[in-house]
Amino acid sequence: MAATGNRYTARNRYLKVAIQCAVAVAGLAAFYSHPHSAQFAYIGPGAGFAFLGSFLTLAAGLFMSLLSLLLWPFRMAWRAVRNRNSFRNARVKKIIFLGLDGLDPRIAERMMAEGKLPNLARLAAEGSYQRLRTTFPALSPVAWSTFATGVSPARHNIFDFLDRSLKSYQPRLSSARVGQPEHVLRLGRFRIPLSRPVVELRRKSQPFWKILGKLGIGSTILRVPITFPPEKFDGKLLSAMATPDLKGTQGSFSQFTTRVEKATYENGSRYPLRRCADGFEGEIEGPEDTFVEGSPMLRIPFRVVRRGSAFELRVEGHRCRLNPGDYTGWQRLTFRTAIGVKVGGMARFLLTETEPDFSVYMSPINIDPERPALPISHPPYYAAYLANLLGSFATVGMAEDTWALNEGVIDEDAFLDQAYGIFEEREAMFLHALESTRRGVVACVFDTSDRIQHMFYRHLGATDRHAMVIEEMYRRMDALVGKTLPFADSGTALFVLSDHGFCAFRRGVNINSWLRDNGYLYLRNGDRESGSFFEGVDWSRTRAYGLGLGGFYLNIKNREARGVVSSGREAEDLKHEIMGKLAALRDADGATPIRTVYETATLYRGPYLEAAPDFIVGYNEGYRCSWEGAVGKVEAAVLTDNPKAWSGDHCVDPVLVPGVMFSNRKIAADDPGIEDLAPTALKLFGVEPPLWMEGKALL
Amino acid sequence: MSTIKLNKDLLRKVKRVAAAGGYSSPEEFVEHVLEREIAKLEDAQSDEEIVRKLKGLGYID
Repeated sequence: MAATGNRYTARNRYLKVAIQCAVAVAGLAAFYSHPHSAQFAYIGPGAGFAFLGSFLTLAAGLFMSLLSLLLWPFRMAWRAVRNRNSFRNARVKKIIFLGLDGLDPRIAERMMAEGKLPNLARLAAEGSYQRLRTTFPALSPVAWSTFATGVSPARHNIFDFLDRSLKSYQPRLSSARVGQPEHVLRLGRFRIPLSRPVVELRRKSQPFWKILGKLGIGSTILRVPITFPPEKFDGKLLSAMATPDLKGTQGSFSQFTTRVEKATYENGSRYPLRRCADGFEGEIEGPEDTFVEGSPMLRIPFRVVRRGSAFELRVEGHRCRLNPGDYTGWQRLTFRTAIGVKVGGMARFLLTETEPDFSVYMSPINIDPERPALPISHPPYYAAYLANLLGSFATVGMAEDTWALNEGVIDEDAFLDQAYGIFEEREAMFLHALESTRRGVVACVFDTSDRIQHMFYRHLGATDRHAMVIEEMYRRMDALVGKTLPFADSGTALFVLSDHGFCAFRRGVNINSWLRDNGYLYLRNGDRESGSFFEGVDWSRTRAYGLGLGGFYLNIKNREARGVVSSGREAEDLKHEIMGKLAALRDADGATPIRTVYETATLYRGPYLEAAPDFIVGYNEGYRCSWEGAVGKVEAAVLTDNPKAWSGDHCVDPVLVPGVMFSNRKIAADDPGIEDLAPTALKLFGVEPPLWMEGKALL
Repeated sequence: MSTIKLNKDLLRKVKRVAAAGGYSSPEEFVEHVLEREIAKLEDAQSDEEIVRKLKGLGYID
């Protein structure tokens, strides 16, 4: 029996090797047989993953494309028949949602009173204006998810930018997961993925545009946060917040400079520029080559050549001028893996200094919308369609490079140039959608208002040359509203809204340090400070820990891997004890950093509540969770100054930072909330909101 | 998207519990229950990988 078993094992081994070789040869043949192999390969940003289209996938794809083309007239005819009654009960033919992230009601109201925002003032006078209640916590991923679904975080599962692994206590991006392919064929040092990588949207429930789509009412959804990866629905969508860059990060810039001799990696990476005969030379570091064991970084060499008093960037055979202070356009970058698969990205360059040192800033390498390495739109060709029609555009989730300004790699003027460049790209998309949409929904969110307030709040009310930057931004947003108003005819409902307001961020509160001082969190060896991500925390004695920007957690038995607090009475008593003590925290000058500590279970109900922080901290104006506390670091002090350019924030008590809601319709709702917009959209199209939606229609 | 067959009695209960629980569909409820169970068996990602993916998120250092 043993001999037979061995024979079978040996035969199976030969069979397995033969199949592997056949699959590999077929896969590679499919690649090289096509002149544009890149478009058949999904390459995971960063350490991520890769998907190699097999010959079968390629053949099936071609067959499906052909079939789809042949069936197109019939599909259109069927849609026309199916959708002929879609608008039968509709009270409008079109709804426009213009999202201005972070537009603050106090600033907007003051500027309207001063006559500085004529279009918003007109909208308020002829239609309506109210403050819009935001979510707990007042964070964009949470609030825009509630906008889309009409439900509280406990029903859509987004409670913060970050959530945590219950096994390792490590933070993760709450809204999307990008994982490795499950099946990988190993051929020597090569790794050929045989299955698709996991790209998963963690936002649950259903957006209103999906419900409308099922009923034949189409939508164009542009850059509404937490839409990566894009979901299938009857409409068009371009993904936003949480879309990674080509390296798989949330956007990491590169600085090429003669100031460093070795690469350094912090919030962005610095690489050495070497002087050569006619200028400088360096290497652009891209994503990892996941087709090779060890996943080495892919690199592209480049040169900066002196041309008289000017400079020229030469990369991959392309040349473009580098003028100090002027961004280049989007430069295409193609990284070639060891087996010949191409990975496309794009970046913009800026010459930031020439003497005595020479430095060039490169934006995060964005996924190229014309050859996306990851799905960033629905239908998949929509991003390429927009890029071909209107020019390339930033695709990374948080596209404005706040860290480059924080780190002093670019200055305020360069940041503003970048932010308004992105604004103009999006404005072109939005206006195109308005021009081409006769019926249905157009929703677009502009992040400019949020990012500029984050980075310039310290100048508000000052007398320096950036003192008017925020006011100027409000005027630009008002001008955008002015361009939108002509599209808001009598059959159109227009909503201009923000997800939260803004206030100053002068002092940071490290909840983990406070928990340590009060005997709820312990470090090993009696240490007082830890590394990031809870390095050095003694979980066997730790009863509570803070992670993310909105709240903190108890270390519950049978929930957390090393939980020590029993759920039930012990947890409830502990909650009340901590809430009482934390509210009594005082700053050195006697100020109260925390206005209210909310017990999350009392704020909302829903199936995902167990993933929520146990507490949401309502910071007072001027305070926020500290930079270090947000990533699970225990510092010496509980309260510290915020020295960064990032000086405005909204991670405070949500009561302090409502958003705005303008409409061309008369709305006089009592306490309208951002959860009310989704049911309002349904109702305006004559669709009864489903029972699971918690918002109430405003019209 | 793949299909899993449930017997009619169980499906009836799934629909009822999903609606009462605030899920937007029976599918969402089933997925949530399965994900929760599978998560107990899965390994955590490496710390280095997690840190790298969060890099650049403006709100954290």
